[in-house]
Formats: sequence, structure tokens, C-alpha cells
Amino acid sequence: MTAREILYKYRVIVFILLFLLAGSGIILYITSYFAGLLFILLAIIIYYGFHFLLKDKRIVLSEIKSIAKKMLIPLAGITIAVLIGAVVMIITGYNPLTAYGALFYGGFVKNWHVSLLNAAPLIFTGLSVAFAFKAGLFNIGAEGQYYIGAMAAAGLGIYFDWHPLVTIPVIFLAAGLLGSLYNFFPALLKVKTGAHEVITTMMFAHIARYFSSIFIRNFGGDPSTSSHPYVTDPVLPSNWLLRFKDMFPWANYRLHSGIIIAILTAFFVHYLLSYTRIGFEIRAVGSNPAAAKTQGISTGKTVFIALMVAGFLSAMAGVNQVLGLDHKLYGNLSTGYGWNGISVALLASNHPVGVIFTSILWGALDAGGQYMARTQEVHNSIVEIIKGTVLFLVVARYLYTYWGQKRKKKETCNE
Amino acid sequence: MNDFFTLFNVELLHSTIRLSTPITLAAVGATICERAGIVNIAMEGLMLIGAFTAVFFAYITGNPWIGLLAAVIAGGIFSLLHAYATITLHLDHVVSGAVLNILALGLTNYLLILAFGHPGTSEPVPVSLAEYQFAVPFLSQIPVIGPVFFNQRPIVYMSFLLIIFFTLFLYRTKTGLHVRASGEHPLAMETIGVSVYRIRYLAVIISGLTSGLAGAFLSIENSNVFTSGMTGGRGFIALAANISGGWSAVGSFLASLFFGFAEAFQYKMQAARLLDLPSELFVMFPYIATVIAVAGLVRKSRPPKAVGLDFRIEKQAD
Repeated sequence: MTAREILYKYRVIVFILLFLLAGSGIILYITSYFAGLLFILLAIIIYYGFHFLLKDKRIVLSEIKSIAKKMLIPLAGITIAVLIGAVVMIITGYNPLTAYGALFYGGFVKNWHVSLLNAAPLIFTGLSVAFAFKAGLFNIGAEGQYYIGAMAAAGLGIYFDWHPLVTIPVIFLAAGLLGSLYNFFPALLKVKTGAHEVITTMMFAHIARYFSSIFIRNFGGDPSTSSHPYVTDPVLPSNWLLRFKDMFPWANYRLHSGIIIAILTAFFVHYLLSYTRIGFEIRAVGSNPAAAKTQGISTGKTVFIALMVAGFLSAMAGVNQVLGLDHKLYGNLSTGYGWNGISVALLASNHPVGVIFTSILWGALDAGGQYMARTQEVHNSIVEIIKGTVLFLVVARYLYTYWGQKRKKKETCNE
Repeated sequence: MNDFFTLFNVELLHSTIRLSTPITLAAVGATICERAGIVNIAMEGLMLIGAFTAVFFAYITGNPWIGLLAAVIAGGIFSLLHAYATITLHLDHVVSGAVLNILALGLTNYLLILAFGHPGTSEPVPVSLAEYQFAVPFLSQIPVIGPVFFNQRPIVYMSFLLIIFFTLFLYRTKTGLHVRASGEHPLAMETIGVSVYRIRYLAVIISGLTSGLAGAFLSIENSNVFTSGMTGGRGFIALAANISGGWSAVGSFLASLFFGFAEAFQYKMQAARLLDLPSELFVMFPYIATVIAVAGLVRKSRPPKAVGLDFRIEKQAD
């Protein structure tokens, strides 16, 4: 019996061990223990090592190669962004090494929970933008639908007193439907008059922002009594999203289950886009509307579905913030989750599962930036520059294909 | 009700002209840009860059004219990024514009802190362009039209001149013809030996210059400070003005007047306190007007055929 056969015989046990390792790693990591990441990494290494021993080595190698190739461009973009950020810091008189050390330590180790807290709403808005993108639409006004969702959550959360298993799904659903409804008008205008959704959703975003201040004043925002004048009354504690601290006593007290909902939603959206009829129609319209039309797919209907699902997802981000983290709605606070959702979606090239990772990266940059600002006296808006430059890797991807085409052309010429 | 009608006076028209200026400037830029076939939603960001640069240089030198010049140049330089991304790299126009808007917001916020030490707003500039308001002799004596059009501030006059200039440019010059052609049928342009890429670069830079000027208007003429994100969606309103103005400079100006009126009117309504409504409802007014306008109040013309489409010179390998 060779080592390979023994391994094959006990492969079930190895896989159970792997799942345990990865699962405990994820739980540890989510509940703000950095060691969890090492567990996950270990599980990945074991998984590939196992396959390497059992299967054909060439297949495994090519698999690793293709993943590495996919990661190459984002990683190159991040490296370029980090270098540009360093240059900016040197020019403006800071030490980039200590600043970046603080950024990384704050974002991925010390304040990891803040990164996750930041990531949860970004996943929702990122999914929203990505979903619309798949249909060839640009939901640039995700910020507005976010406000609508947050207002619905605050309004319902203050008065809706029932068992949380009933109230929380109902609030998510109601807020989501309101978000969809908010995107109904841009969709209608797009289909009926051809008004570009970039302009209409953007205008609706501004309208929602101003509407939220009116809303807050009517739901508790009283400048004379409260210490923070533009805040609604708090949401009933029974409507709060489950916090990890209730299950794992060592977890950070602010971390809530919104991140889990966000990740599950991402996988659901991935399923919706890749394996259902509606998803296929949306992708067909997005990639070639004329061809989709000749296939009998109604473009108008698809535009409606895409924009309304996008509105639903953005509104969920608002619910997530109000029920999970803030427990009230703050006014005049430029949250920027809508705008960052665009970045996150572009960065993941509109892949729903990719959005999870880019959101976490963005969240970690924000959390790390705050930590850096506190400890290093570098203002955290340097993070905005790093983000903008990382985003430039969207362009860098095109740069890569551009150069690739140029090279290919040269090669064919030489032949 | 009588109070309501007293709102409609010369002063309202005067501020309509004044407040429509940044939208006009950006919309004229958008007209040139879209006529050449490039969609530019980065104007929001370009205006922010212009507004910041104007305040920064006006604050350092104490001379608002230098600020104005710097704003225009900065807008032009920043628009090069959009041109490079969309024309040379064939990136989607809307994506590139959105990325540049985000980048511009981050950049101006960072520079604001570096230059003035605190987030939110800058220090006021020592001399703003508002102090250069002057009445044109003779013309300002005409009743109604005189005080409305000819008793304004410098950038407003510049916007008048630019509308005339760009109308002539589009329809009376060879380059203008090339601009229009590269938006309608770029391949034909390339066939007769005119570089579509070069024309499109020119058009994007023009929109950058005018957006920079619009930004300067917001920061050193209409007020005297830079505020984070002070453009408030005007870049997008300008796009709407360009579309409802039928892709022409004069049409853009007329549509911008409508948006300028919406803004002037909401300020008036806020100040007059005729209706006991939250002030935010009035602030929303220009945005609602924009939605109505793009939804098709004016639908007399069609967009340039190749607008938003990528143009790639296919060089045959053999």
C-alpha cells in the first residue's frame, strides 16, 4: 500500500478535518481573532496539497496557475497603488513604512471587526451595482436606494414590535421593496423615453439624501434635546440583528450577523445570475441587446428587473446598517456606501462572489486608515487616494489587455 | 398669493442667469465632447478639481484671476485621464467617468486637508471674483434685459462668449466639422485621413477646460471657499442640460437656464417662507426638474450616432 492509496482510503476523514479547520478559522476570524486567517490558509494549503498527491499533478498546477493569473492583475494594481500612495506620503512628509504598517495592522489584525462592519453594507451596494452592470445598466445612484432602505428600516424598526424572527425579515423585505420601487421610476423612464439611468438614478440619489433629513426630523431628530441633533429615535432592541457576542462571548460587541447575510446574498445573486433563466436573460441583454432581442428576450422587462433588483440590494445595505450597527439613522452623514459600492463592483469586475473580497479589502482600508490616522498622525484621507489608485487597476486591467493585444498584433505581424 | 407673484422679479432672473452659469459651462463642454462621440460623466469630478484648484491658487497668490487660470488648466489636465482611458485604452466611457469622479472626490478631500489643515471647508479666499462684478455700459441700461444679462460677474460674461464661440466652432470651422463627424461616423473620418483619436482628445480636453471654469465659478465667484463635494450633482445636471438641449451649445444654454431657474427659484422660496414646508423639499426642486427634463420635455433631436461607442482603428496584420 503506497502513501497515495492510504490517503485515498481515508480521504473522507481528511476532508472532515479540512472543513473543521476552515470553519473554525472563519469563526475565529469573524469574531476578531487574527489567528483564524492562518487556519483558513492552512486549510487551503492542505486542500491543494491533498489534490496534488491524489490527482494528476498537471491539472492541479494548471488550476493554481489560472487562479494566480486571475489574481495577478488585481495584485499588480494594489502594488502600484501602494507605491503611488508611498510617493504621495513621502512628498507630503510622512514615513510610508510606519504608515503602511499601521494601515495593515489596523485593517487586518487589530481592528479586523471594523473592517467586517464596513464591508457588510459595501457587499450589498456592490452587488447592487454589479447586478445592474450585468444587464448593461449603471446603477450610479445606489446611495439613494441605500438611504431609502435605511429610512424604511428606521421607521419600521422604531414601531414594529413583534418576534424578531418575524420583524427582521419583514423589515428587510419592506425596505427592499421600497428600494425597488425607488428604482422603478428610472427604469420606467429608461424604457419609455430612453432617459439615461446614470442621470436619473443620480438625481434620485440626491433627492433621497435631502428627503432623509426631513424623515429624521419627523422620527425623533430634535436639535434642542438630543446631543446629536440629526438622529432618529433608536430602533427597538428586539429588531436588532443578532450580534456575535450573544453566541461567542469573546467576540467584539459591535459585530453583527449582517456580514453573514451579506455573504449569503452574494452567493444567491451569483446563483441567480449564473444558473437561472432571469440571470441568463439579464446577461444576454447586457452583452448584446440586439441579439437578445432577436432571441425573443424582452429588453424592457429585463431593464425593469435588473434595476429593481439593484434597488432591493442597495436598500438591504441601509437595513443592515440601521438594524445591525447604528440602531438609528444619522442625518447629514455622507456615508458613501453607494459610491464605494461602485468601486467595489468594478474592482471585482462585477462578479458577485468577487464583490465579497473587494468589499472586505475596501472595509479594511477604511478601518486601517482610521487606525493609522489615530496612531501615526497621517490623515486617513490618504486612504481615499490609495482607493482611487487601486480603482485605477480597473484601467490597469484594460491596460493589460491593451498591451496584450498590441503584443499579439506584433507577433502576428512578425509571423 | 400676491406674495408669491412678487417673487418673480428682475432679481430672480438675475440669479437665474448667475446660477445657471456653471451648468451652462459644463453643458457646453459636454456638447462638444458628446458631439465627438465621448460620453463624459467625469465632469462632476472635473468641476471639483477646478473648484479646489481655484481656491488654492487664489488663496496663495491673493489674486482670483490666477486661481481661475489654474482651475481651467487643472480641469484640462485631469480630463486627459478620461481621454486616455476612453480613447486610447478603450475603457467604457461611463465606467471611466465614474472612477474619475470617485478619484476626484478623494483627491480634493486629501488636498484640502494638506493645504488648509482641516476637512470640510477651506479658508476663504482674500479676493473673490464677485468683487469684479460690473455693468456693461449702455447695454445694462436696457430695461429688464440690461440688469439681468449685463450686470454680472466675470465668469458669467465668459460663459456668454463661450456659447457664441463654441457654436461658431461647431458649425463654422473645419475642426468643428471634424468634431461632429467623429461623433457621427468615425470610420469615415479615419478614411479621409483625419485622426479620430486626436479630435476626440481635443473634445475631451475642451470639456475639461470648461468644467474647470465651472468649478472656479462655484468656489471663487459664487462663494469664496471650497467645500468638500460642493458640486452637488451639477456635472450630471449639465449632462441632462446637454441632452435636453439637443446636443447644441445654444440648446445647452437654454436648458441650463431652466435648471438655473429651478435653483434660483428654490432659494427664493426658501427665503420667502411662503409655505410652511421643510426647506429640503425646495432643495430637491432642481433635481426633480432634471429628471423631468431628461424624461423628455424636449425631444426634438437625436443623439450623435457614435456617442458612447468605442472606436478602434483596425490595422490589418497583412
